[in-house]
Amino acid sequence: MSPEQSLSLLKTESRVRIGRVPEGIAGLPVLPGHSRLIGNEYLLRPDETLSFHYARGHGITVERLDGADPVQEHLWLNGSVYAAMAAINGFLPVHASAVAHGGGAIAFTGQAGAGKSTLIAALGQRGFPMFCDDTLVLDISEPDGITAMPGHKRLKLTPEAIALTAADREEPVGAGTGKFYARPSTGDWQTPLPFTALIFLEESPDVSIRHIAGAERFARLQDDHYTATLFALAGSLSPEDHFRLRARLAQSIPMLAFSRPRDEARFAEGVDRMAQALREGLVRTAPAG
Amino acid sequence: MAISKAQGKFVETEIDDEVVLMDLESGNFFSLAGTSLAVWQAIDGERSEDEIAALLADEYDQPLERILSDVTDFLGELRDAGLVNG
Repeated sequence: MSPEQSLSLLKTESRVRIGRVPEGIAGLPVLPGHSRLIGNEYLLRPDETLSFHYARGHGITVERLDGADPVQEHLWLNGSVYAAMAAINGFLPVHASAVAHGGGAIAFTGQAGAGKSTLIAALGQRGFPMFCDDTLVLDISEPDGITAMPGHKRLKLTPEAIALTAADREEPVGAGTGKFYARPSTGDWQTPLPFTALIFLEESPDVSIRHIAGAERFARLQDDHYTATLFALAGSLSPEDHFRLRARLAQSIPMLAFSRPRDEARFAEGVDRMAQALREGLVRTAPAG
Repeated sequence: MAISKAQGKFVETEIDDEVVLMDLESGNFFSLAGTSLAVWQAIDGERSEDEIAALLADEYDQPLERILSDVTDFLGELRDAGLVNG
């Protein structure tokens, strides 16, 4: 499948309509607070008022009852439901935010709260267009390369992060997150790109960027985020399949560790160092394994 | 006695100059580098423990007794994990 066909498929399959959602799939009930992915179907019922159903070829259906929170609906739709849809269609969803640079997508990953979105916004301020926020969808269908699919155009940032990155603040995300939607100052990237680097965000007293080599590349891909679980469920991956996928990523994607202090006063120092490294081609010249 | 890899019990991949093995039964991972990788690569189904140690002693220019001890320990770990026979 060409990158354009992949993008078109994702757009078609992520279309949303409002309607009735079944109470279970494959004859198995899904209670409020639970989800289930079986074969080509995914059903999520976050609470009594909201239900999401995706079936391959039929898009996403949302059922809202009285009291449904539109903010929650947006969060679930763009998080778990989007990732499940991607996984069912053979894409690999990864918990990462990315920028477009040098003809490729450069992704930053880390635990929730590691600063992925803030870094993307700050790199945007320095001329690097946003590629995606929080969920990076990878097309792994072609053996000779991994393609990153653009998506998730809206950043979610805390007021402090908005102040640090000069992003344009929009409405609150809500749901107790304390975050606001924000528009990156350099805009976003719209077309698929080769996946060229994966950078792990770490905290340390000093700013440093180092290449990750050898078995550590494999170990770093241990992913317990829900996106990895959805992909494993959707693909019915055997342990061997999972191993081979991790090996492929470890062998083909340059990886770096980006360490910096989580100190607002030194935030710009870290971002400037990363921006410089990207401009100097540090990331593109990393050993590919 | 010849040492052989327990084919079908594991999958392996090479990343840079290291090898990662996964025991398919337990799901446990093993990372091999340096001497342990050299031992693993020397297991060809024909060499004995002594022959593997001799090969590495020659390769690393080390006394055979010292290498033999390392090889014995590491092969013991691989046997315990069910990744080699013999």
